[in-house]
Amino acid sequence: MANLVRRKLVQSLGAAASLGPFAIGRSYGQAHKGDIVIGASQPITGIFSFAGVAMNNGLHDFVQWKNAKGGVMGRKLRYVSEDSGFKLDQGVAIFKKIMAADKPSFFYGESTQWVKAITKDAVASNSIMTSSTSLASVVADPANLPQHIVPGPTYPRLHEILMEYIARTSRGSAKPNIAYVYADTEFGRDGIPGGKARAEKLGLPIVAEIVTKQAGIDVAPEVAKLRRAKPDIVIFQGYILAPMPEFVRQMQEAGLNPQIMGTAWGLDRPAYEALGKLGVRLTGVSMYRYGHETDSPMINEMREYLAKARPEQKNIPPFYITSWLSGMIFAEIAERCIKANKPLQLPHMKAALESMKEWDSGGITGLLVDLSQHDIPVGRIYTYDPGKGTMEPASSWIKV
Amino acid sequence: MRTGVFHETFVAEERLWDSTTTQRWMLAFTLALFTLPVWGTDYMLAMACIVGIHVIATLGLNITTGNAGLISLSHGAFLGVGCYTVAWLAKHGVPFYLTLPAAGFVTAALGVIVGLPSLRVKGLYLAIATLAAHFILTFVFREWEAVTGGVPGTSIPRASLFGFEVGGDRRVFYLIFACAFAMAVAARNLGRTYVGRAFVAVRDRDISAEILGVNLLRTKLLAFAIGAFYAGVAGGLLGYFYGAITPEYFVLTLSVFYLAAVIVGGLGSVLGSILGALFMTLLPELLRLAAHASSQWFPAVAGLLLPMQQVVFGLLIIVFLVLEPHGLAAIWARIRRTFHLWPFRT
Repeated sequence: MANLVRRKLVQSLGAAASLGPFAIGRSYGQAHKGDIVIGASQPITGIFSFAGVAMNNGLHDFVQWKNAKGGVMGRKLRYVSEDSGFKLDQGVAIFKKIMAADKPSFFYGESTQWVKAITKDAVASNSIMTSSTSLASVVADPANLPQHIVPGPTYPRLHEILMEYIARTSRGSAKPNIAYVYADTEFGRDGIPGGKARAEKLGLPIVAEIVTKQAGIDVAPEVAKLRRAKPDIVIFQGYILAPMPEFVRQMQEAGLNPQIMGTAWGLDRPAYEALGKLGVRLTGVSMYRYGHETDSPMINEMREYLAKARPEQKNIPPFYITSWLSGMIFAEIAERCIKANKPLQLPHMKAALESMKEWDSGGITGLLVDLSQHDIPVGRIYTYDPGKGTMEPASSWIKV
Repeated sequence: MRTGVFHETFVAEERLWDSTTTQRWMLAFTLALFTLPVWGTDYMLAMACIVGIHVIATLGLNITTGNAGLISLSHGAFLGVGCYTVAWLAKHGVPFYLTLPAAGFVTAALGVIVGLPSLRVKGLYLAIATLAAHFILTFVFREWEAVTGGVPGTSIPRASLFGFEVGGDRRVFYLIFACAFAMAVAARNLGRTYVGRAFVAVRDRDISAEILGVNLLRTKLLAFAIGAFYAGVAGGLLGYFYGAITPEYFVLTLSVFYLAAVIVGGLGSVLGSILGALFMTLLPELLRLAAHASSQWFPAVAGLLLPMQQVVFGLLIIVFLVLEPHGLAAIWARIRRTFHLWPFRT
């Protein structure tokens, strides 16, 4: 008898242990019928958390802001996000989990490899469009990734814009020598071939090309290479902050004072302030207006919302703006589908996206946005103004 | 109450599971897994696929490190070798039942080369040598664009069996499940052969093993080769599961992950490999679930639980090494013993 009881107990414990972790679920889908769901796999912890927190806040705040304005044609947006730790396994698991539980129409992820890993499932579901913070050229591919939106220009395009600016500002004088210093990551490498090709076309000499690790770099030998090359301009790519200040410091000690340039994520406040302290006016191409600018209605709205919802946040990083903009694009797609009386399915959403040829982003990007190729090939040059302590426009908006 | 296992025939002794109860539990477990695509959600299937891949890789590392005592920090890179081998072969039209073994053998050959320092050095020095191999391999992943696609990565065509596409998690799961089951049985059997015993002898005291007639050169290189074979197959399955891969996946922390799984699960134990891989893969999910569940009542706790994942891995290794060096397998064995000997105390 005791054996029988023991066996039954073991069997029931075993069954409970095997099913228990998977029994925890959510039933939001039932409670929130009619909501337009935006799912997200955000790197809130891990090596990319400095961006992940901002991206998560940006999309979350956009949803709150939009719902306060009445939602999309009267339908509320609902934001469901989880932390991926910038790990592919977790990112893909989160995607599948949220897809199963909440049936989102839109999904925001964090990396190029995440986009590639979920594309087959996203396309097979026929019900979702995705976006991410990645500006890699491989994800701006409407043919192979029909569901994906790149909320900015790709890295090669950013470098093409930079080269155009350098060529325009050096007209009539000797062409400046340019050196590339970039990280051996996709973020670092992706834009370089496009930049070099445009430089060659414009007759701009690339006198040095230095590839470094992402972190823990021995700067001295690289500065020695730069000293031999004597560049007039050094373009950093693939770094958010370090090792740019150390490079600049050692270049100054070596008697080099080139103009320092960068793109996109490398033009955030930590970078321009750190370099500003060294007397360097960081210049670069940004795909969005900065959070302190007042000539953009949407940036003003963001600032007002943050002042109420997150008063401790004084700076609007580009990662916040990119996810807010992605939210705007998602909402616009949903609105166009609803107006056309089409269900939120991939072919209709893709058509709605590609019909956004002169879409007003509220001034986040300076020109009317053309999303027909699933990206926004527009940027503007900004230069650090030490008097104001901010990045100020140094060119008009450039489209390539 | 079972007090022991008394074999009356050699056939009975050679059985993998030595009691009817164990056999029935294994059958029930296998059936439950086999039918998972029917009753499981997409999320459960995705997690099961990822767990299966990690189980295979952990089994391999347990053979090299747990059985043979050879520390390897290049296991993550071996996965990459297997993945890119499968990607390249699949793009040339080779079917999966050839690409997976090919990935295993290519990685095994590389494992032999990486394992050469083990003939001269041990312990920390061997770990550094395998670490160097890791960096060399990851450099090759980034630079050899013709094969790996370079930094942007490469895609892997879906597996197909005589025209039937093995795509989607529900079909790939069976491929992973079959490979994991077969390789777990193979690992279990390996421990009962001369080769497996030679590994243990080398781990415990290689000089004594050599005196007893164990060929150190062959044994150590075979340990690396078999471990790498498992990693290569796991890498190939990883490629079929994700459909696309970049070099950023095969970082050093992946090797540390598998090492942690081996230690937490139990060195030298097949069950330990499975439990360790399961635990390490599901732990971030459990932490995230706990953070989400607690966020509604205790938002501050949720804020702490999310970053804790980074701390928990390191703590687990230390805790298990100090308190339970034989890992989860030993804990499970104690639980089983308690039930076997109940109501008598162990």
